[in-house]
Amino acid sequence: MSSARTTFEMGLREYVRTPVLLALLVFLPAYFVAVFARVVPDDTVPVTVAGETLQVGMQAVVAALMAPMATALVGGVAGLFLMRSAKAADTRLAIVGTSLPEILAARGGVLAVAAVAASLVSTAVVAVTHVPEQVGWFLAATALTGLVYGTVGALAGLVFNRLAGVYVLMFGPLLDIFLAQSPLSTETHAVAPYLPGHYPLELAFDAAFTVGVDPSPIWWGLGYLLAVALVTALAFRRTLRVG
Amino acid sequence: MAVARRARRLEVGLSSAVREFLREPVNLALLVALPPLVIVSYGSIMSSFPELPGMSSSPETLGAVAGTLFVAAFLPGVIGLFQVISARRADERLSLVGFPRGTLFAARLLTVAAASLLTGAIALAVLTTRTDVASLPAAFGTLALVGVLYGLVGMLIGAVLPRELEGSLVLVFVADIDEALASGIVETDAAFVKLLPLHYPHELFEAAVDGSAMATGDVLGTGAYVGVLALVTLGVYTTLTGEGGLQ
Repeated sequence: MSSARTTFEMGLREYVRTPVLLALLVFLPAYFVAVFARVVPDDTVPVTVAGETLQVGMQAVVAALMAPMATALVGGVAGLFLMRSAKAADTRLAIVGTSLPEILAARGGVLAVAAVAASLVSTAVVAVTHVPEQVGWFLAATALTGLVYGTVGALAGLVFNRLAGVYVLMFGPLLDIFLAQSPLSTETHAVAPYLPGHYPLELAFDAAFTVGVDPSPIWWGLGYLLAVALVTALAFRRTLRVG
Repeated sequence: MAVARRARRLEVGLSSAVREFLREPVNLALLVALPPLVIVSYGSIMSSFPELPGMSSSPETLGAVAGTLFVAAFLPGVIGLFQVISARRADERLSLVGFPRGTLFAARLLTVAAASLLTGAIALAVLTTRTDVASLPAAFGTLALVGVLYGLVGMLIGAVLPRELEGSLVLVFVADIDEALASGIVETDAAFVKLLPLHYPHELFEAAVDGSAMATGDVLGTGAYVGVLALVTLGVYTTLTGEGGLQ
């Protein structure tokens, strides 16, 4: 496990060595959530949360929607370039005997740090507009969105080139989180339950606007994360073998 | 003589940029495959929305229109970003041996413009299968302009932040904020929205689709945005190429 730890620390050190990147990881999610929460009018809108229709302020709805989306964007782009930039180093690590689970644990750890940092920042900005009823669950839902999209980004980094990868991560969260999972839509689109943001967003809205949180979406979300992680691990193993 | 040499340099810069782009067949596949995917998905998912206040047409049409602008703008935007980032070292060396930075910039911009024309044409062709477009020339002109506009945004970000992760992060956030607010999906009367790159082009494109008259303010706003952005990007690119951007 010591090589996993060293690889993890090296990955983090690479982030810390780039102050511009650190500043962007904090500033971009904060700016994103704040802009949306500020520009929409504060009318009351009906939203369906956990099967119940509630009357909620538009600014609160938009803030609660944009926090997971900001985390998804950060996680996704970080995952994409994590796999692309570390490819050569990971091949060398595999040659000198570091096991596949150790390399994946180290890279996953770096991704988790980026996702948790982005979710902390965006949840803090949400709290300026609307303090979620269950802050801990909201934070967990936001971090889970970042992790799922981080893994999707890592998979995109292994399968596509950077141009296609960035495009997928620009388009994917917008379509999934902003449109398909939006509580403003009157009916759930047929594909919405199969998209990466579905379960985390269900939990995020439950935690933001209701006192009693149903924890089942987090288990489904973790299952989704595990499935994407398995596919990513298989793609990663194939890349190492080819490399 | 000097003009001929400049033209030759521009041709060399453009052909090398196009060759670099075409070297990966997946790039060409993206240009062709993404527009239908994005436009159809947008329209389909938006069809489950009610007619919210501020929406100028039915949610499905609005989704298809927003998806078309998304394709036309952001694919050239990503191309512009990576044109600048991946060619940074080569551009530095070319600049050192006397290749004017302005010519390098023009070559990169022309590649983005070529991608904008192709993406715009494909996106418009897909849109016509979803909804009637009243003025095809106006719609195509707007889409091509939007491509160049976001190509410039991508180039500007690439010149300031010449690293893949940082540049992509900024472009993804800028594009998604712009798309969500300028598309009319989110109702807002905030003055800030008028500063977003897609605000005026979105108005122009909607007018081209529904056949209403294009407002002079929107035409001037789009033209001014492209002009100012081109000058700023040229200034930043020529200043920072070889300097390493922000670290």
